Amino acid sequence: MSASMSHEASAEPNLTPMLDMVFQLITFFMLVINFKSAAMDLKLRLPVVGSARPVDTKGADELLVLNVDAQGNLNVYGEQKKDVSRYIAQEAQASLLVARRKNPGIQSGDDLPTQVVIRADKGTPFRLLNKVILACQANGYRKFALKALNKALEP
Amino acid sequence: MRYHRRKRRNSHQEVELNLAAMLDMAFQLLTFFILTFRPAPVEGQVQLRLPPPKPVTVLKNAQEAGSSADNTNPLQGVNSLVITVLGRKDGSIEGISLGESTVPNLGVLETRVHSLLANEGTGFDQVVVQVGSDLHYDQLMRVIDICTRAKLPNGERLSKLSFVELPSGP
Repeated sequence: MSASMSHEASAEPNLTPMLDMVFQLITFFMLVINFKSAAMDLKLRLPVVGSARPVDTKGADELLVLNVDAQGNLNVYGEQKKDVSRYIAQEAQASLLVARRKNPGIQSGDDLPTQVVIRADKGTPFRLLNKVILACQANGYRKFALKALNKALEP
Repeated sequence: MRYHRRKRRNSHQEVELNLAAMLDMAFQLLTFFILTFRPAPVEGQVQLRLPPPKPVTVLKNAQEAGSSADNTNPLQGVNSLVITVLGRKDGSIEGISLGESTVPNLGVLETRVHSLLANEGTGFDQVVVQVGSDLHYDQLMRVIDICTRAKLPNGERLSKLSFVELPSGP
């Protein structure tokens, strides 16, 4: 009788602590995940500037993130935009529609409240960068944020 | 008595959750988050208001620039401080000018720009940066850094900048 009982006894590990630990890890990764980083081209080498301040997006209604590499190519969400002027004009139309929700009086050609975030490689010649800036200005963008690494934050 | 025994037996039955299935799902979620986790570098930004470049503007109720032969100060009557930065083919800085005077290096430029913008008598509230077309972005940012750290007479930092592209040399 006792021998048959010992055969039936199965070793069941207590999964509860493991599940607790896994849920804690999931919570950690859910909190630190940043979907905005998908808009960044992490291959770019940003310049180092002492006055670069931490990103403050509280005042900005909407952001238009533009990645410009050393060859002047515009990359958005990993896709290279060949016609820069056309892409920015399309984004400006979208920004105008969004701006009209808050300010119905805003017209085409007025200053847009959207902030253009330029992430350019430090080796980009100004003539290539200026094309992007001029295209933005021509479509009504006035607020710009130039991304850089702060000296204190540089690894 | 019999009834009581039967009731006690029923109350001892335990409902066991199958944790293995939940653990499988949790591990799948964990795998997803680990694979999609990309720690982004901590970036800063320089916020600017970039209006399209215009001719150097005239102060209200002030003498128009160039209208008087007695005015020998080239900066009087304008509210835009003009900085010129020329670039070499390799993208480095070839030369710097502040207004019409040449500046030997960025340190001197910083001192002069900060004193000019902080001086209420000059009336500057924006900077026009004339940039050589070959100048690299990191070198331009050094000049922008100097400008954005300068304070205006009202205590605010300068945020109005305009860029003008200069053609590259032969």
